[in-house]
Formats: sequence, structure tokens, C-alpha cells
Amino acid sequence: MPFMLLQAVLLPLISMPLIAVLGRRLGRRVAWVSGAILAYTNILLASAMFDLWNGSAPVVETYAWTNALFALEFGFSADGLSLPVALIANLVCNALVIFSTEYLDHRIHAIYNRESNSLNAFYYSLFMLFSTGLLGIAFATNLIEVYIFLDILLIPLYFIMDHFGYVTRHRVATMCFLWGFIAGALFLLGSVLAYSQTGSFMISDLPALVGTPLALWSALLMLLGMLVKLAVFGFHVWLPWVHAEHPSCIAGVLAIIVGIENYLIARIFVQQIPSIFELFSLPLMVWAVVTMVYGAYLTLAQDDIKRLYACSTIGQTAYSLLGLASCSAFGATGAVFYFISHSLGKAILFSVAGIVVYRTGARDMRQMGGLAKRMPVTATLCIVGSMILSAIPPFSGFPSEWIMFVGIFQQGIQGSVAALSVAVLGIFATFLTSVYTFWPVMRIFFGPPRPDHENVREAPLTMLVPLLVLAAVSLLIGIYPEIITRLLIPAFTGIP
Amino acid sequence: MLPYSSVLPWLCWLLPIAASLVPLGMRGSSAKAKGLPVVASTFLSMVLALSLLPALSGPGYSDLQAFWFSLPGGGSVGMGMLVDPLSIIIVNIVAFLCFLIMVYSVKYVEGDPSAGRYWFLMSLFVGGMLLLILADNFILFFIGWKLVGLCSYGLIGYYYNDEREHWIGGPAPHAFQKPSRAGLKALLVTTFGDVALLASIIIIYIYSGTFNFMELYQTSSTWVAQIAQTPGLLSAVCLLFVAGPLAKSAQFPFQEWLPDAMAGPTPVSALIHAATMVKAGVYIVARVLPIFFLAYWVMTPRLSEALIFFYAIAISGAITILLGATQAMVALELKKVLAYSTISAIGYMMLSLGVSGLSPSSLVEGLYSGVFHLINHGVYKAALFLCAGIAIHVSGSIYVNEMRLSSKSMRRVLVFMVIGGLALAGAPPFSGFWSKEGILMSCLESGQYVLFAVASLSVILTIFSVIRVLGMMFCNGSSGAGYVAPRFASPTEQESKGHGDNVHSAVPALMLLPCGVLAALTVLLSCVGPWLGGSIRQTFDAYLIDTLGLPLASLVPTHAPQGLPISLILSVSSVVMIAIGALPAYRIYVQHKWCAEDLLARHRSLQAIHRLLWNRYYIDAVCNKVFVGWTLAMRSPIAKHIEGAMDAAINVGVPSLIGAASRGLRRIQTGILSVNIIYFVATVVALLLITIFAGVL
Repeated sequence: MPFMLLQAVLLPLISMPLIAVLGRRLGRRVAWVSGAILAYTNILLASAMFDLWNGSAPVVETYAWTNALFALEFGFSADGLSLPVALIANLVCNALVIFSTEYLDHRIHAIYNRESNSLNAFYYSLFMLFSTGLLGIAFATNLIEVYIFLDILLIPLYFIMDHFGYVTRHRVATMCFLWGFIAGALFLLGSVLAYSQTGSFMISDLPALVGTPLALWSALLMLLGMLVKLAVFGFHVWLPWVHAEHPSCIAGVLAIIVGIENYLIARIFVQQIPSIFELFSLPLMVWAVVTMVYGAYLTLAQDDIKRLYACSTIGQTAYSLLGLASCSAFGATGAVFYFISHSLGKAILFSVAGIVVYRTGARDMRQMGGLAKRMPVTATLCIVGSMILSAIPPFSGFPSEWIMFVGIFQQGIQGSVAALSVAVLGIFATFLTSVYTFWPVMRIFFGPPRPDHENVREAPLTMLVPLLVLAAVSLLIGIYPEIITRLLIPAFTGIP
Repeated sequence: MLPYSSVLPWLCWLLPIAASLVPLGMRGSSAKAKGLPVVASTFLSMVLALSLLPALSGPGYSDLQAFWFSLPGGGSVGMGMLVDPLSIIIVNIVAFLCFLIMVYSVKYVEGDPSAGRYWFLMSLFVGGMLLLILADNFILFFIGWKLVGLCSYGLIGYYYNDEREHWIGGPAPHAFQKPSRAGLKALLVTTFGDVALLASIIIIYIYSGTFNFMELYQTSSTWVAQIAQTPGLLSAVCLLFVAGPLAKSAQFPFQEWLPDAMAGPTPVSALIHAATMVKAGVYIVARVLPIFFLAYWVMTPRLSEALIFFYAIAISGAITILLGATQAMVALELKKVLAYSTISAIGYMMLSLGVSGLSPSSLVEGLYSGVFHLINHGVYKAALFLCAGIAIHVSGSIYVNEMRLSSKSMRRVLVFMVIGGLALAGAPPFSGFWSKEGILMSCLESGQYVLFAVASLSVILTIFSVIRVLGMMFCNGSSGAGYVAPRFASPTEQESKGHGDNVHSAVPALMLLPCGVLAALTVLLSCVGPWLGGSIRQTFDAYLIDTLGLPLASLVPTHAPQGLPISLILSVSSVVMIAIGALPAYRIYVQHKWCAEDLLARHRSLQAIHRLLWNRYYIDAVCNKVFVGWTLAMRSPIAKHIEGAMDAAINVGVPSLIGAASRGLRRIQTGILSVNIIYFVATVVALLLITIFAGVL
């Protein structure tokens, strides 16, 4: 397939005007057009992944982007590290665009009190940018590309938030944009510093950074940019707002946007400049564990179902950070694997929250209970999502989590007492995940049914089937982790 | 080993897992029809398990590993089924009990609209349980381990709508517990142990480079020694490891989830929370026990930290024996009494496994009697629970003092329960007696006299609670008058049959049959007890020495076989203990010569003890307060003061700071030309000065 990666990245972008035009006629049914386009790119990626899995060489496409000032290669590289991440991100986008049909309609009616084809067209054309942005980040070969695609993601985020979000949506949209922009700016600053030292923006040229005078500063700035987006403790204050007030149909994508920084850390730091990254290892591990524990307690403190899963993202992405910060092959493999698994699980959980809000009209869990009787499939999905997050087999959470913790414990045992206690604290923090995922299951779905939910029905198939597909993918990976591990392992052969 | 034994174990656990999906697909079928594929698959599993039995006689083990998935650093995880004496014995007892309880369930869930869920979870449970026993490595084992935990969660909370009739606890002035909360509690308590267990498995992997049990045995002398080089690490591995089994098997300090787990349907309590899942902890301890034994007794230098493994298990088991046995004496709910006795019985098994590592001479004795007790307990406790299910259905009450069953019309149930109860109490010559003697013996042989005293004195308590429960259920003073008619049959059916002595015929044969089979098997086990125990002992002896290569012969001092007098003394003392416990219980609850209420009213100390036991030593209350209460209490301060403060500082504070700065700046932007000219001139002068000075310097 010629220009396969270029197609996968740019096709959604190019199709935006088409979707916008069609959307004005088709209304929400244009979701199926978006879905079809994403399904096509999914097939492209899946076939690439299948070939790679069977031993063919990674696909690299380069496009020159040169002018008088600088020579920049606009490249896409689909290797074992980027392909699984890209495929899962695209898959979630695909599932959620179908999920959106009902949900967005409900949002438009709730906010604007009318049918609106143009708003549908607006939403679905913007939604394509998520796919472009996420795939672009995954496949990027230079730091400028990363920056561009990171910022591309801010565009749909801002507009979708502003138009379709919840109560304080205008304020939160601005907040989301600003935080994203600050993170991007820090990253760009770091990249430029790196360029000043190595004379190249290529990620593969980063090893030359080691030993240069500004190396530490460059790495620190890039890392800070990512940590802001990763919502580690202290930088997390934007996340509960942004994730909770978004329409639930894109919340799953949001979890990937947050988590993909972990992929970038793996790609840029662990792969290319491990010797610099090791300097940050212990502080980052401590920071990650603090975030995990704080994120867990913050999640437990929520009564709002949307805010609940928003807060859990804080802790969950910190797991991956902990794995990466252990600077070991196991830790890094497990961390990226865990991010993939979490993307699936969180997409399911956020969407379940969306379904519950859509069907009951309530966001407060204190006003819920006994819904399992009315929505058995949704309740099952919620338990499945909780299982993925709590690393309960046979879903993907389990292999990813233990592989990651092997790396974390390796670091802990070789390192100081502090590192070992961080490892032990970290694994016990995973216990809190079960608490904050299964307790809400009980609060929402178990107990006596409420009289005011007498008319609540099971969610429509367009909402359930995409989520069931995601659950099936997670199950498949969980039963046969080789699908992911065979691809990820070669990416980290260089480190101990 | 037999050649076919490589495929059969796979089918053994895969069949129930595959069958679990069938009931979900059968929309519109009756509850019974949904159950048939599950019962059939469980039957096949049982047959497959039986087909493994011949392998017991052969030497060695079979473990064909297949590649599963690769790991960083060139390693990989394999998958295979380990067929060795330990797994064969336990897989047989589990598959057999699963099948009988499935048969019982067919009648139990009849007419339940959500039976599909019941069959799905039960079948998945059977698959998971068999997987965890047959797994040849820690990862596969852990998958089965978590699967059964999840099914347990789903089945305890089976009545997730928390209708009033499914509450447990009480009666009235006392607090009730709801099924959904009980399920969550079980899940979370066991998950806590699982996390610790996983941490331990991970550390073991880092040093040994394998998850496979047999490879772990074979290489144990190297990797255990490496772990021990870091002081304290081996202790940590031991403690983290035992937390998993202790939580799963409801042992101190994790025992509090099991009594609440009785909120599930009775077959679930029988299968998961008495006969099988709670034994998983015993199984995995028995599985890894030789490694830690080797580390202390065989390796030079001795790794004394390895003993922590055995001490932790033995002490926890002994404490649990006491906790369970004493609480069973006062509990009023029939299923709770049985649950406490389960806790106590598993305590015996843990104690047995624990002391087995405390001296080389007690290794085989402890290991075999622990496993033997597991078998016996599985059979009689399942019988008791299934009978309890019938009794609860018939009487419509969960409290023993309200049951008022007629010993005439419920004669068969009474007989089955008496058999089960006597086996439970360890009365000679019932099955529990033989294995309990073995456990007491191994305590003595290892020189743990305190643990021995606890274990042997608890016999008094156990027999007391057994007779108390049976007496309260069947001998309710008002001899015969006021027994309760069965509520099984529909009203019309009941009328046609009338309230006569033939009421037991209203108990469906399909429910009575499994009870009968189990009771008969208990009797059979009682008869062949000494012989069966001996052959299990021989099997383990051969397994440990020949297959695992433990040099037991050189470790055990060859003293004259003076076992007979000791075991005779033991038996006599057990009989005495039983008499001590049985007499007051018989006088109070069967003959009604002594009145328990009067005794209680007369002695303040008894009242205090009763209150302590009734409140479960306040362990549950304290745990609730500390872990649940404090967590809940922290919610609002975290949301308000920590998160709220940070949010206000950053998301509100920073923007308003910038706003204030811009307002300040705006003040000097007057727009008046003359003022602006002053700015202009000042800037130019400043620039000039800078240029000049820069030039000069």
C-alpha cells in the first residue's frame, strides 16, 4: 500500500470538508461516513501491524519539507512501538464516533433545544482531527511534527468543548486550550534547545544531545511539557474540569490525549536518551506514586459520575509514568502496554458514564442505584471497564500491569531502599484502583432500583456495540498478550 | 506419566469456561434449560479429572509447556498444565463437588429470571478453579485465582437489588448487611491480598527468571539464596506471598469477608465459600511449601528468613481456628455458623501446612494431613451447606432459633446434617477425626506445643457449636408442635400433599440427592479414613523425595516408631475434648435441661464473652471504622480543602493575578499625548545611556 501512513494520518484531515458538507444534509447520520473513513484507516494500520508482527520491516515514509531556513524531513515511522499505540487510538476514535450519534444528538437537544444538521457537521468534521492528531503524534519522526500534532489536537478539543460541553463549558474550553498550549510551548522550547545543541529536530538524532551543555535543560523542558499534559500531581488541576465537562462521546479520546504523553516519553526519553532520563528516574517514580495515591483518593471523593472517571485518569496515567521512570525494558514495555490497555478501559468507562447520564439525566451517583436491572449490558460493560483498569484477567490490564511492575521492582531492588518502597507503595496503590472502580459499580448499578428510574431503558445498540468491540479487543489482548508484546519488546532492547 | 494427560487437563478447565457462555445466549429458555449445558460440562470435567487419577500411581509429574507470550529481556511466559499428585487430588475433589452442587443448583434457581447470570458465573467459576489448580505457572495460576475471585464477587452480590429477604445479619436490633456490599467487601479484601501476592511473584520472577512451578523447584537453591543476599527481602517475599492465600482463604487478619459472603445463594456458599475457592489459598501454600522448606532445612547456610513463611501461616491458622470456633458458638444464622466453622477448618489446614515446615519430621505429616483435611472438609461442609439450603427454604428463616424444623418430617436432612456435623467436629470415627488427628500429630512432631494446645482445645468449641446448631434447629423444646411446613411447593401443591409426616417428600429429590451422596461419601471417607490418609501420605512422601528430590531421609532423625502410643493418647484426648464440649451443648440444646438464657443472665462474665463473640471480636467493626469510615471521612476534606485549594490557586488565582497585572498596566496607558511623549523621551534617553555605557565598557 503506497503512502499508507500518509493516508492514515491525512485522510481524516482531508475528509473534513466532505464531512462538513455531507453533514449539513445527513445530520447525525454523517457519523457513519466518519466511521467508514476511520474504519478504512484502521484496516490500513491493522494490516501494517499484522505484517510487522509477522516479521516484516517497520514502515518508514519520509517527505521533504525544506525551505531556505531549514531542512526538515516530515517523516512517519510505523515501528513496533508506534503501531499498536496508533491502532488502538484510531480504534477508540472509530468506536466513539459511532457512539456519538445518539449522545451528541442528546447534547445538542439539551443545549440548543433543536435539531441541527450544521452542529452535527461541525462536530463530526472536527472529530476527524483527533484521529489525525493522535496518529501524527504516534508516527512522528521529529520533534516539530510532535509539536504540530499536539497542537492540532487542541483545535477540536477547544471547539467541541465550547459547543457541546457541560455547564461551565466556555470557561473550561479556554482552560483546556491554555493548559494544552502551555504544555506544547514548554515542549517546543525544549525541542528548540535540543536543536541548538544537535542541529537536528529528528527524534533519532536525539542521542547526540547527551553530553552537550544544555542537554539537561532541554530534556527538562520537554519533560515538563509532557508532565503538564500527563496531569501529574500539581499539574493535574485542569484535568478533572476538562475531562468531566466534555461531552462523554469524546472523553475516551481525551484519556488517550493525556496518556499519549507516556508514549512520547517512551519514544523520546527512554528510547533515545535513557542516560539523561535516568537522572529523573527516582524523582519521577516518587512523583508518579504520589499522583497515583492522590489520584485514587481524589477519585474516591467524587460523587459526580463523569468527574469520577475523569479523576481516575490522573492516577491511571501515572501508572505508566511509574513504569517508564523505572528505566527498564520491562517497565517501559509494560508502561506503553498499560497505556494501550487503559485507553480501551477508560473509553468504555467514560462512555458508560455517558450512557448513564444520557438515560437517567443524572450525574450525581447519590441519585443512582439499582440500574443493573434496567441496563444489564451497560452494567456489564462498566464491570468490564473496571476489570481492565483494576488489572483483573482475562482482560488486557493484567498482563500489562504485571509486566510493568516487574520493571518497577527491578529498579526497586537494584536501587536504594527508597526505590524499593516506591515499588511496593506503587503496587499497593493499584489496590485503590479496585476500590474506586468497583465501589461506583455498586453505587450506580446495585442496590434497590429508584422509583424515578422506572422508565430508564437499556442504551441503544449504536452505543453498546462500539464499546463491546473495545472490550473484545481488550479481551483478545489479555488472553494473547503476544499481540502487543512481540511488537513492543524490540523497541526497548537497548535498555537493561 | 500417561501420554494422554497432556490434553485432558486442558479440556478439564476449558469446557466449563466455554459452557459458561451458553446460558447467556439462551434467551427465553427456562432456568433449568440454561443450566443443562453447565451441568453437562461440569460432569465432563469431573470425568476428565477422574481420568487423571491413574497418573497418581505413576512416578513423577507431567508438564508440557507451550509458548504463550514473550517478555522483555528474551524471556517468555509459557503455558501448560501441571499434573502431579497435589493437583490430581485437589482437582478431583473440586470437580466432584462442583458437579454435585451444580445438580443441586438446577432445582435451586428454578424459576429465577436471572438464572442465565447464575449459570454463567458458576460455570466460569468452575473453569477458573480448575485452571488455578492445574496451572503450571504463576501467571496462569493467577488468572484462575482472579477469575474465581471475580465470580465470587458476582455471586455473593447475585441479589444485587438488595431486597429485604436477601439481607444477612441481624436479627432486628442488630445491623444487617446487603448482598451488593458483601460482594464488594469480598472482592476488595481478597484483592488486597492478591496485590501482595503479585508483588511477591514478581520479586521471585526477577530472581528466578521463571514462573513455572517445576522450574522454580528445580532452581530454588540458587534463586532463594540470591534473594536472601539482600537482608530482609526474603522475609518480605514470604509475608507478601502469604497475604494472598490468607485473604483468599479468609484467614486472620483477612477473615471478615467470609461471614458476609453468606449473602449469596446457598449453592454458592457451599461451592465457593466452603468447598472450593477458599481452599485455593491452602492449595497454593502447599504448592510452594517445598521451596521454603528447602531454603531452611536443606540449604547451607540455612536461610532462617524462610521460616517466616511457615510461622506466618501456622500462627495465622491457629488464631483463625480460635476466632472461627468461638464465633460459631454464638452465631444465630445457620449459614454464618457454617461459615465460621469453615474459617476454623481452613485454619486447621493452614496450621498443618505451617507446622510442616517447622521441623523436617513433620513435613510429610503436615502436608498430607492438610490436604486430607481439605478433602474431608470439602465433602462434609458441602453436605452441610446444601442441607442448610434446604432447611432455610423449608423454614423460611435464616436463624437457627426460628427454624423449628420437625425432626420427623425432615429426618433425612437431619441424618445428613448429623453425619456432616460429627465429621465437622472431628468426632471419631468420622472423616474429620482422621485428618484432624494428623494435624494435631504434626503440631506435636514439630514441637509447637502452643499451637497444638490451641488446635486441640478448639475441638471442644467445635463440637459445642455443632450440637447447639442441630439442637436449635431440630429440637426446639416444644417437641414436635409447631414445625414449619415446607415452603417449596406451590401453595396448591402443598395443600394437596397436606401437612403430614410425608412432608420431606416435598423437598425435591434433585436437591436431596446431592446431600445424600455427600453424606454417604462422608461416611465412606470415615470408614476408609486411616487407609486413605495413609495412601495420601505415601503419595506425598514419594512425591517430595523422589520427584522434588528433598533429602528427607537424611534430615529426619530415625527414631523408633513410637507413633502408636502418641497417636493413642491423642485419640483419647480428642474423645475427652469432644465429651467436654458435647455434654453442656447436649444438656442445653437437645435435652433442654439447662437453660442457656439463665446461664447467661447469671454470669456477667459469660455475658461479656457472648457480647465479644457476637460482635466478632469487634474486628469487623474496627476494620470498618478504619478502612471504610476513615476513607469516607477523607472524601470531603480532599475534595474541598486539597483539591479545591489547588484548583482555586491555579485555575482562579493565576488568571486573576494576570488580570490584576493588566489592570495595573492599563493605568499608565493614559492615551494623553504629552504623557506618552515623556515615556518616549525617557526610553530614548535610557537606550542612549545603555549604548554609551555598553560602548565604554
